[in-house]
Amino acid sequence: MEVVKFNKKIYSLEAVKKAIEEFKNLAEFKIKDSGAYLEVGIDKIDHDYHGVLKDEFSNYVLGVMS
Amino acid sequence: MLDNKDNNFKSKIKAEDKIIEFKINTKIYPLTAIYQAAYLFLDKVYVFLDGDPEKEIAVIFKGKDASFAKATEAEDLEKIAGEFHNELLNQLLREKIGDTNAKIREYIVSAALYNAVPNEVDKLLQEVEEEDWQEDPLGIAKTWSSAAPSGAMGDKENKEK
Repeated sequence: MEVVKFNKKIYSLEAVKKAIEEFKNLAEFKIKDSGAYLEVGIDKIDHDYHGVLKDEFSNYVLGVMS
Repeated sequence: MLDNKDNNFKSKIKAEDKIIEFKINTKIYPLTAIYQAAYLFLDKVYVFLDGDPEKEIAVIFKGKDASFAKATEAEDLEKIAGEFHNELLNQLLREKIGDTNAKIREYIVSAALYNAVPNEVDKLLQEVEEEDWQEDPLGIAKTWSSAAPSGAMGDKENKEK
């Protein structure tokens, strides 16, 4: 399972949730609150996107924030 | 990891992972400007932000495979980081101009909206314009003779005779 940690002072929970909604068909996502960070666990990633999904997901969250 | 201290901005490059990391002072560049600048680079690199928005933001760029030839990865990353700093300045200037012109912008928009809403005088004028003045439902414009029944004039004339 891959994990992305989003700083809560920079990334909002709404943006992360919106990104998960968009990416839900490509993997399984779990959000966990770990103090200053929102930890997003990414599992069962679609084979076609295995190498890039985590980074593309992070980019999408940042895009929503902007 | 390579510490690049020759540049005006300090950056760390991990060439093997195609990653460059540098820090932005948020007292100079606000977080909003960093968001906007980062947004413009999402198609070129993977962008990740971390740190404390009240002090310093760490910007991490990771090269996308298609956009980086192996031999020039480090140079490309540095070039993109430099472009990012330029874009930060651009966004900062946009924000400053936006703040400076905020009042006049609000005035122009409110004036435009006010003129777009028809007021009472405009409504009355429009009603008058729409009225057909040639219609005469009460027969006011007709002369007495043309308004009278056809026999009435004849009777009067006969009586006078």
